Amino acid sequence: MNILEVKDLNMSYKTIDGNVDAVKDVSFTVKQGESFGLVGESGCGKTSVAMSLLQLQADNGKITSGEIIFDGQNIVNLSEAELREVRWSGISIVFQGAMNSWNPVVKIGEQIREAMREHYPNKTKDENTKKILELFEIVGLEDSIIDRYPHELSGGMKQRAVIALALSCDPKLIIADEPTTALDVVIQDQILNEIRKVQDVLGLSLIYISHDIAVIAEMTDNMAVMYAGRIVERGPTKEIFANPKHSYTKSLLESTPSVVGDKVKLQSLDGEPPSLISKEKGCTFAPRCPYKDISCNPELDMQLKEVGPNHYVDACNAEKV
Amino acid sequence: MYKYVFRRVYQLIIVFFLFLVSSYVLFDAIPGNAFQNLLLNPDLPPEAYEQVIKLYGLDKPLSERVILYIGNFFQGDFGYSYKHFPRTPIELIAERLPRTLMLFAMVNIIAFYTGFLIGKILAWRRGSKSETWITVTSVFSYTIFYPWWALMMLWFFGYKLNWLPIGKFLYPEKWYDAPYDSDVIFVSMIKFTLVVSVVQILVYIYTRNIESLSMRRNVRFASLVTIAILSLLYWNQGDLAVQKPYAMDIAYHMILPIFTVTVVAFAGTALLTRTTMMEVMKDDFILTARAKGLSQKRIRDRHAARNALLPVVTSFIFTIVTIIDGSVLTETIFSWPGMGQLILQAVLEEDIPVAMASFSFIGVFALIAHFIADISYAYLDPRIRIQSQG
Amino acid sequence: MKNEKDIAKSIRREALKKNWRLFRRSKLGMIGIYIVIFFFLLSILQPILFLTGVWNKGIYDPVVGYSEQFQEFLVVECPTEYPTEKYKNRSDCPGRTEVNVRTLYYSDAEVGDYIIQNLQPAPPSRQHILGTDSLGRDVFSQIMEGSQVAFILGLLSATLGVGISTILGTIAAFFGGKIDAYLMRQSDLILMLPTLPLLFIISAFAELQVWHLAVVLGTIGGLGGSVITIKSQALQVKVKPFVDSARITGGSQMNILFSHVLPNVAPLALLFMVFSVTGAIASESVLSFLGLLNIDMSWGLMIYLAQVEGFIFSGMKFWWLILPAGLSVTFLTGGFYLVGRGLDEVFNPRLRDR
Repeated sequence: MNILEVKDLNMSYKTIDGNVDAVKDVSFTVKQGESFGLVGESGCGKTSVAMSLLQLQADNGKITSGEIIFDGQNIVNLSEAELREVRWSGISIVFQGAMNSWNPVVKIGEQIREAMREHYPNKTKDENTKKILELFEIVGLEDSIIDRYPHELSGGMKQRAVIALALSCDPKLIIADEPTTALDVVIQDQILNEIRKVQDVLGLSLIYISHDIAVIAEMTDNMAVMYAGRIVERGPTKEIFANPKHSYTKSLLESTPSVVGDKVKLQSLDGEPPSLISKEKGCTFAPRCPYKDISCNPELDMQLKEVGPNHYVDACNAEKV
Repeated sequence: MYKYVFRRVYQLIIVFFLFLVSSYVLFDAIPGNAFQNLLLNPDLPPEAYEQVIKLYGLDKPLSERVILYIGNFFQGDFGYSYKHFPRTPIELIAERLPRTLMLFAMVNIIAFYTGFLIGKILAWRRGSKSETWITVTSVFSYTIFYPWWALMMLWFFGYKLNWLPIGKFLYPEKWYDAPYDSDVIFVSMIKFTLVVSVVQILVYIYTRNIESLSMRRNVRFASLVTIAILSLLYWNQGDLAVQKPYAMDIAYHMILPIFTVTVVAFAGTALLTRTTMMEVMKDDFILTARAKGLSQKRIRDRHAARNALLPVVTSFIFTIVTIIDGSVLTETIFSWPGMGQLILQAVLEEDIPVAMASFSFIGVFALIAHFIADISYAYLDPRIRIQSQG
Repeated sequence: MKNEKDIAKSIRREALKKNWRLFRRSKLGMIGIYIVIFFFLLSILQPILFLTGVWNKGIYDPVVGYSEQFQEFLVVECPTEYPTEKYKNRSDCPGRTEVNVRTLYYSDAEVGDYIIQNLQPAPPSRQHILGTDSLGRDVFSQIMEGSQVAFILGLLSATLGVGISTILGTIAAFFGGKIDAYLMRQSDLILMLPTLPLLFIISAFAELQVWHLAVVLGTIGGLGGSVITIKSQALQVKVKPFVDSARITGGSQMNILFSHVLPNVAPLALLFMVFSVTGAIASESVLSFLGLLNIDMSWGLMIYLAQVEGFIFSGMKFWWLILPAGLSVTFLTGGFYLVGRGLDEVFNPRLRDR
């Protein structure tokens, strides 16, 4: 059962310098109970995708085309009131830099209760509090946190509290946008374990966004690689790691140093990601592709081609590679 | 928190002493004083002149006088007013203060509340057409040339339309055989307003614990209605029933000045609120609030406005500091005999004791208000209030 | 190979251009700038008119000019009781173009006649766009003079104030310790003082002229609260790594102060300057209005004269004595304030639209 199907999503931001196409023809599906990873460098559009799912992008951003089918319902054209119902109780988000997700003058417990009040208006304060305490237990927080202010908590505690917040309205899908980037590795490990535990216990679906390919490898069942607003490779995680087809994916994998084995010089790609304002047709990766040759036609309209079981690649010379 | 308070008190005392000394020196440096004018009377024998100087200690050197002054200050002894002899400055201040307080307390509360509301709405409607012209109108009502505006109001409502009285705070005819002095009435009015405000604040604080928001709103509304009914009863029993018509007279005279000043004063708060809100809106937790599925209104009021409240409340308390400052113009134009008018006249008439007394008083007032502002800010911002381990 | 200075200069030029573009996008700022420019043009218009002889100084000088304004008046007799069919209440008779026969001592005119009189203040006419005041002086010329006064006073006191507070704030931030503590206490003290009463006292001291007032306002403003804000801004710069690296590479302290701290503090200082101009113009107007200023002509003075001579309550009859001056003060201070708001949007990215 697919909990989420994204079809040909396009989203762009209007700026003084022109339209920035942050999300171009993005499609993927997430099955119930699975974890889906979205990986790419900074500015490739992965956060924009996440925001568009709940239409939380900045005021100057607009979904120009495409469908987002959540739990069987297309949520792109919903009214604001209907959208508000889906938010948090259907899909919730753990933001990047979640430390700043908290309103500094309101207690933690109150902020969580606020979300619950919005979606479960008939529950009493005690019922809500009880639930919050249960959630705290799952994520590993003490009971007393409920009456504390955000500045009294450490980074790791705030992060766990954010996860509790994300779970508070029993969502079916959680989007985790780089939830551990700002934390040190030890806490990172703990938090990742918490997330996995929570997912198992509650049967949630998860979209995990990161630029750290190692984390994606650890946490996800299926994944997609994004570059300059497009998905360039998509498929089961194990498959992609074993058999990367797109040059960018390959470079990404090669650029991660390994703790074991011989010391090898790290590979990196020349050049920079293109400006998202330009409306070039064809392969946006062409300028940096190490496999470019004369047959590479930059005018080609790119399409995803299947190269393996559920394994798609947005490349012109998939066969060659 | 207590350490903070303590530190502020200590600084307060130092600044206060500096203030006293410098204000005395300042006044002393004014060439001539009302005395000399009175004594210019050629019929007066020169011994009388010297006697007077001795009496007032004007022949002692500056340093001695400063010390004397400080000593007297704490005893509340300012000597006698030059012009209104034998009344003491303290008497005059005591007489005038309630009048100023009554007027400006009302003004500040109304202006602050209106300004906050408008600023909140303005910031939320960023970029829309109405935003620009409302902001521009607010700016111009903020910078309008106040004397001009006040005169226009006076002329228009008082003279042309004859709706409201021009100047003064009561109709002398009505008070011919009044059993009460105007001061008494003022004091009871102030007491009443204070009680009502305090009750309101308490209601607000206690209803914060009610979970359901619609219930909360209903309870607060009910309390408002109850207070209104109670006040009506209060003013109709016994002593106060007699005071009522006089109080009404004063209230009637307050309408125009309050309206005039509020129009000018609200804009400052509105603009400050708008700026602060605009900054707060860019914070991450607003995004989280949106993601939680809260309505725009809820986000605006409970998250953005709550955080914007801090600087705004601080500025509100600071405007209390400048109550007397601002009252000078209003009281002069509306002939409302209060503190502001007192100090203006005192300076113009060179009535040094009164001028010094009121000046010092204003300074003390400002200091205390400043102090309260600091403490309130520290209290309101939980980051300062609760300094605990992470 | 460009040397560093050129690179720094071109970076600064780029930054300036970018800031100007940002400022242009702020609607408030642009409205403000137009208003300020309008008044600025007014203030330079007057000397030009005089110099080029278009205006005769004898007639149009705002202080000592005199212009005879002959108008036609209808002689009427004012009734003793009101209202009548012609007049609603006492102040309506005589109307603006009428004269009460009882006030004519030197003429044999009778009711129903038309006479010509030289009556000041005269309403706007072709010669005098905004009419004349009670001494026969051209009001428009007065407005322009007032504009000059406002600009000079405003800019002088603002520059002085900002200069003082920037220097003091930077010193407080960098030298810390006792100097810092003293400066903060001093700021507190000044903040505490009620400005208006203080100005009254000072004006009772000495007859203030425009320059004196500018200096006083500038000093009070400069020593006051702005020192605290600039100090905190300077402190932020102080802890930035590049200051340390500048020190390591051997920059002298003065050098550091000027080339690093000042550019960072400059936006804030500019903001203060604009806002203190509004305060200065308002203060001057208020003081002139209360008759405490020894000044030949300013907007506040115009309203003072109008009030003292009793024209305020005549309402719209003598509008040109009251409206232009009041509106000018309002609009110019409003204009500067809007410019300040626009600048705020440029320097504080969080306030921008996107």
